[in-house]
Amino acid sequence: MRTARRGHVEVAGLTWRPVGRREPVLRDVTLTLRPGERVLLAGASGAGKSTLLRALTGMLGSLEPGDLEGDVTLDGVAPGDRPGAVGLVLQEPGSGVVAASVGRDVAFGLENVGADPAGMPAVVERSLTAVGLGDLPLDTPTSALSGGQTQRLALAGTLALDPSLVLLDEPTAMLDPACAAEVRAAVAALSADDPRTLVVVEHVLGPWVPLVDRLVVLSADGRVVADGPVEEVLDTQRDVLLAMGLWVPDEPAPAPLEVDPGLLAAVPSTAGAALTADPLAVDRTVRLVDGSTRTLRAATLDEPLGASPGDLTVLVGPSGSGKSTVLAALAGFLDPVPDGAVRLGAGEHAADPRRLGAPALAARLAWVPQWASSTLVARTVLDEVLTTSRALGRQGPAEEARALALLDALGLAPLAAADPRHLSGGEQRRLAVAAALHHGPPVLLADEPTVGQDRHTWAAVVGLVAAHRAAGGAVVAATHDAEVVARADRVHHLAAPPRPPQEPSTRVPLAARCGPLALLAGAMLGIPAGVVSPHWSTSLAVLAVQVLLAVVALAAPGPGRAPAGRARRVLLRTVPGALAALSTGWSTWWLAGHDVDTALTVALRVLVIVVPSAVLLPWVDPDRLGDHLAQRLHLPDRPVVATAAALQRVHTFGAVWTEIGRARRVRGLGVRPTRPGEVARHLAASTTGLLVRTLGAAVELAVAMDARGFATARRRTWWAPAPWRLRDTVLLAAAALPVAAAVLAR
Amino acid sequence: MAITTDAPARRSVTATGRLASWRTVDIITVAFLGAAFGIVFWGWAFAYEPLSKLVTVAYVPLTGLFAGTWFLAGVVGGLVVRRPGAALFCEVVAALVSMLPGTQWGASTLVSGVLQGLGAELAFALLGYKAWGPGAAMLAGALSAPLEWVFEVVKFPASWADLPVLGSLAGGGGWYAELVLRDKIAYLGALGVSGAVIAGGVGWLLTRQLARAGALSAFPAGQEVREARAV
Repeated sequence: MRTARRGHVEVAGLTWRPVGRREPVLRDVTLTLRPGERVLLAGASGAGKSTLLRALTGMLGSLEPGDLEGDVTLDGVAPGDRPGAVGLVLQEPGSGVVAASVGRDVAFGLENVGADPAGMPAVVERSLTAVGLGDLPLDTPTSALSGGQTQRLALAGTLALDPSLVLLDEPTAMLDPACAAEVRAAVAALSADDPRTLVVVEHVLGPWVPLVDRLVVLSADGRVVADGPVEEVLDTQRDVLLAMGLWVPDEPAPAPLEVDPGLLAAVPSTAGAALTADPLAVDRTVRLVDGSTRTLRAATLDEPLGASPGDLTVLVGPSGSGKSTVLAALAGFLDPVPDGAVRLGAGEHAADPRRLGAPALAARLAWVPQWASSTLVARTVLDEVLTTSRALGRQGPAEEARALALLDALGLAPLAAADPRHLSGGEQRRLAVAAALHHGPPVLLADEPTVGQDRHTWAAVVGLVAAHRAAGGAVVAATHDAEVVARADRVHHLAAPPRPPQEPSTRVPLAARCGPLALLAGAMLGIPAGVVSPHWSTSLAVLAVQVLLAVVALAAPGPGRAPAGRARRVLLRTVPGALAALSTGWSTWWLAGHDVDTALTVALRVLVIVVPSAVLLPWVDPDRLGDHLAQRLHLPDRPVVATAAALQRVHTFGAVWTEIGRARRVRGLGVRPTRPGEVARHLAASTTGLLVRTLGAAVELAVAMDARGFATARRRTWWAPAPWRLRDTVLLAAAALPVAAAVLAR
Repeated sequence: MAITTDAPARRSVTATGRLASWRTVDIITVAFLGAAFGIVFWGWAFAYEPLSKLVTVAYVPLTGLFAGTWFLAGVVGGLVVRRPGAALFCEVVAALVSMLPGTQWGASTLVSGVLQGLGAELAFALLGYKAWGPGAAMLAGALSAPLEWVFEVVKFPASWADLPVLGSLAGGGGWYAELVLRDKIAYLGALGVSGAVIAGGVGWLLTRQLARAGALSAFPAGQEVREARAV
């Protein structure tokens, strides 16, 4: 299939109506893309651009049911016929990352088509070089990449399967300008040497114009309304494109929306700054793969910051300079160094935001994070706007009327009764800012409030912020947007704190050198060891053997720096078991007529069962576990890959949980341990929020994986082998020693 | 081509295509749901300890009333994806994830996950993978209990130690082996009730909540909600 004449796409009369919608999302779309053509696909928000891309991958209808008419072919066959023939890069960096290391991630498609593992590294290297990531070692953790690098990694992952058609769905919408330029450079290099057909969806057209030949425009009701050479369409359709909210080259930013400051509650007037911060730093403790922890400086604010009523203060700096981190410290979500460096209000009313209860914090401060969807707390759009006012005890028809008028000004009035989670990204962004400001907080903290937004939402957000300032509110924003910076009274430049060079720890604990199956089996052997122990004296002996073995398992012989924090880690993981041992022992003592012997026996039994797990399980690596489950135990490939991918992301769930908690707190929804109702509501909302985000991530990842041949991966090969080695046998034998000790002692 | 995939209204919407042909999104979603529930399970273990010890003082079998939370993953996994194996897979992943940070049951958590998942799976299989209402959910929650109950009241023989796979079970289980038969049966009842109410009832409500949030549009549960109010 490797010819210059490939990538010919025919879309004929494509109409698509998902189940549950009265109107089709795409209507009678007919398009011919010539091999090697580079196409920019644009349209109003909700115009079905992403849906059309999905149709081009051949996956439309497999994800949600609906009525599909018409035909899509790639080089005369259905697009899904050859796995990987259509490459897809999604909007959110990292949404398609499958593996923990760069090399394995790029090789994912090759594994799915059953390529010979011996040939994989060469293809992987070539693909990485093609996107400008050739310098990265193949074992670089995917989590260590910047947003721009992650998007280029996704592109490399599609290139490994030599696609005839590459689809990019707003690949730079969530990136800062420098990262966005990296991604565009990679895309430009891609179509230069080896012609592939390319389709990019974007609403900031300017930077892409030099890279494409043709511009196709979809209307809000899903029809192709313009199609032709890019310069020509830009000339003739300028007004149409502007009306759709697209960023057209050489067109100044739109005038901010006029929002009556009276629609926002009056900001209580304060003497002096509403928020002051001394020069501060924020430290972040990270846990490294070897179990040690390191405290790194995540951000520094070098000059004092004062946000006075009516002022706009902006934080600027490259990605990774810690703008979001400083904002989170200003909101009291993170501890600043020195302690108490941030104060809300002035004089005798000054307060540390970390010390305020949720309603008191919400009364003084609002915060809009970059992911607007994560701050949604209510079930209707109107309730969302009223949430904080209600939490502050301000109820009544006047509040409601003001909220409705505010929604009306933002074009959201028809959606007042809708569930905010069903809104588009732009609508959610407008809603998030309106909901943050309705109660008139003296300070607004906004993280990249305009990034990735179309002209309509841009004008609305900038207009809202202006209204807030006119009402006497102060604003601190982290931004890359030159138009926003131009409106600022003060600009703080942040730079990434210098990172001390990290000494790699070359010594790995003995347990970590063993395979995942041996580790799991070794942990399992704690069960019989605990249960066969008849008396606490036996259990004590068994426990002693286990502790000795643990010391050996955690030893890390060899030259170089020793990994730190091993013992602490094991102790931490024994805590649940120790608590259970105590409580079980106590209840047994109570029930068994205050018999200390029985109680001790039961308590120690619990410890014997738990200790091997605490020592061995932390060293189970998800990717290697997948390798071994599939290649050693011959479990079915696809569930194994899915499980490894899920294990990979478990740590991100904690971050989502924290973020939901922050959003609720700053909206005035607190959790006081003395109020069971509040605790229950908070737990329910956080759990649902976590599951909603998890399910969203699963759908995105499934789409990305299918575009790399996972749907048809029946006989996969594996990037890494899964050997059972002598050390694994030794570990098993050692883990059986406590069982033997218990049996002998009986 | 003209493909129309409509589902009958009112009755439970079943999975698309052949029942046993899992789409990628089915597999990934069950794995991710399982992982999220694993975190919930791990947290619940801390709440379970004081709660169960409180009722232990009154009547030991009542501890079973707090166990239903651990059957949630199987029930919800089944309700969302509606394919054979979903309940078992989801519960096993949840057990695996909750085991990794360290629990008071160590590696036996995984054994429990398999047994509970098998129970929920059995319930959905008995209904032919066609019924997904609150009744089916409660049955699945209740049936998550019996196999787990056997593991907890019967000790596996230590003589199994030499057998290949069963060896890891040798002498295992039997947390409640010392109870008299009447109490063991009361414990089964408590587990079953807890499973039906917490895993079945709450699990069904949670699934509906997720569907209303628009998070299940790729799944039958999401379609049910969308058909109820077409836009």
